[in-house]
Amino acid sequence: MLNITDLEKRWIRYKVKFYIPHLSIFISLSVILSIFFSFSNNTQEPNDIPHVVKEEPLLVASKESKIKVTPVPISKQETRVIHSTKKVKLSPSLDFMKKMQNSIQPYYNNEVSNKPYTVQKVQKVEAPKIEVVEKEKVLIPEYIPPVKVKKISIKRQNTQNDIYEIITRFKKNNNPALSLFVAKKYYELGDYQQAYNYALITNKINMEIESSWIIFTKSLVKLGKRDKAISTLKKYIKQSHSSGARILLDEIYAGRFK
Amino acid sequence: MNSIFVNSKNVFLDIVNAKDYIQLDQVSTIYQALKDSIKKPLKMILLYGKPGTGKSMFLNKLYKDLSSTQKVYLYQTPILDESEFYKTLAQDLFETKYSGELNFTQFMKIVESKKTEDIPVVLLDEAQLYSEVLMEKIRLLSDTRTVKFVITLHKTEKEDIIAKEHFQTRIWETIELENASSIELKIYIQKKLMKANCFDSANMFTNKAVNKIHKITNGNYRDTNKLLYTLFELYESYESSNHHRAIRTNNISNKIIEMSAIHTGLIDA
Ligand SMILES: Nc1ncnc2c1ncn2[C@@H]1O[C@H](COP(=O)(O)OP(=O)(O)O)[C@@H](O)[C@H]1O
Ligand SMILES: [Mg+2]
Repeated sequence: MLNITDLEKRWIRYKVKFYIPHLSIFISLSVILSIFFSFSNNTQEPNDIPHVVKEEPLLVASKESKIKVTPVPISKQETRVIHSTKKVKLSPSLDFMKKMQNSIQPYYNNEVSNKPYTVQKVQKVEAPKIEVVEKEKVLIPEYIPPVKVKKISIKRQNTQNDIYEIITRFKKNNNPALSLFVAKKYYELGDYQQAYNYALITNKINMEIESSWIIFTKSLVKLGKRDKAISTLKKYIKQSHSSGARILLDEIYAGRFK
Repeated sequence: MNSIFVNSKNVFLDIVNAKDYIQLDQVSTIYQALKDSIKKPLKMILLYGKPGTGKSMFLNKLYKDLSSTQKVYLYQTPILDESEFYKTLAQDLFETKYSGELNFTQFMKIVESKKTEDIPVVLLDEAQLYSEVLMEKIRLLSDTRTVKFVITLHKTEKEDIIAKEHFQTRIWETIELENASSIELKIYIQKKLMKANCFDSANMFTNKAVNKIHKITNGNYRDTNKLLYTLFELYESYESSNHHRAIRTNNISNKIIEMSAIHTGLIDA
């Protein structure tokens, strides 16, 4: 027999945890609104205003503490960006890397557009070097990254190398599992043209692999050929009754998959 | 009244038994493909997928179906010692008892001498536990076309496993089992309950309830079993507790589903 009362208590705690974010947003919104209205109506009902003012700071504070959680990753991203710009300045060899990586990663472009922010930061960091380090450990990682950046690029090369290795293996034995693997990896890397090519190859070897058809049509959508993706999926569904393909088709229709 | 929930609960015990097998759309096409490919010479079959996607169930069903028409042997737990593995096969497949150590060359001699028209099919569950060396021998053995293997394997790191060394060769036919979609999950739950004559319980699973369950279990059969076992245990407890509040039995509330998920650890709270 289960302990219902205990479970119910845990469930209520779970629900409360789940709703706190929604509630705090809702309450702070309504407080803001009520302040807004009380200001616009103004001075007529002095009784009500003090109440509202009392509640306001508490709620706003709680809202702030919620929001604070998110900026952390953003500032991390900024620090990473700093090093990449730093690197460019220091070692000319990185230009090579940039060229190589340009073809793979769309988000490198974002970094370039972020430059104005980062330059400021670089200056800030360089000056108070010693003092800041003593006060706040958080800043320390900012001095390590030259190495980190290298690591990241090595990782990229590794997945590329992995892919090449598997492609050579695939050329030897024509196993569709390998070409499918390559298609999926390319898809993950955002290289939809290659993902399309390898899924196509896989389908030619074995036309009954559902996940290969799915990667194939997903790549088509990503390459801007939505109509072709839809017609391919329809044909495939007709002969396979694949539920995965049907779900994808619905998602494409509904615009959830773009 | 009480026994309805107890019976429904027991439907979801985590037991693999071919007689409880449920025909599911996705699975049945794979099943047909698999039965066809058993007839092909040489091909070895690799069934893989995450834990709880029904691989063992599938293998058991295959065993039950094939055993009426051909020689088939099922090993649910791996025999890890190499010599022990050959000895077991020699005894089961070729009725040859061997007392001492048996190595691969000796075993191959037995295999050659006992070659028959009717190629025996060997089903190996949980093959991720076999060593690479033994897997290689299994492949060599299947090259001789005297024994046919169907093996199941947990999918570990994404698809990496199929890119692994043994599965490169073309003789492997790989089949992946996946988690159920929401629609399949509904069929699974309802068929399972109806098989045990729990029609009222089967009717409790509306689309809304099944979607909620699917969200929590991702359509994994084992997790779904765990969740529903607890769910019916909860109903049972509500019913027999003195302060039994009005629990709706016409459909399942999200609250009950969430409580079961908390109890089984599928949701942390
Ligand atoms: N087709 C099916 N029919 C009935 N029960 C199933 C089916 N597939 C899976 N199950 C249930 O799901 C549970 C997990 O399946 P199992 O075969 O043990 O998964 P795996 O071997 O992939 O880890 C089993 O207890 C079994 O009762
Ligand atoms: Mg199993």
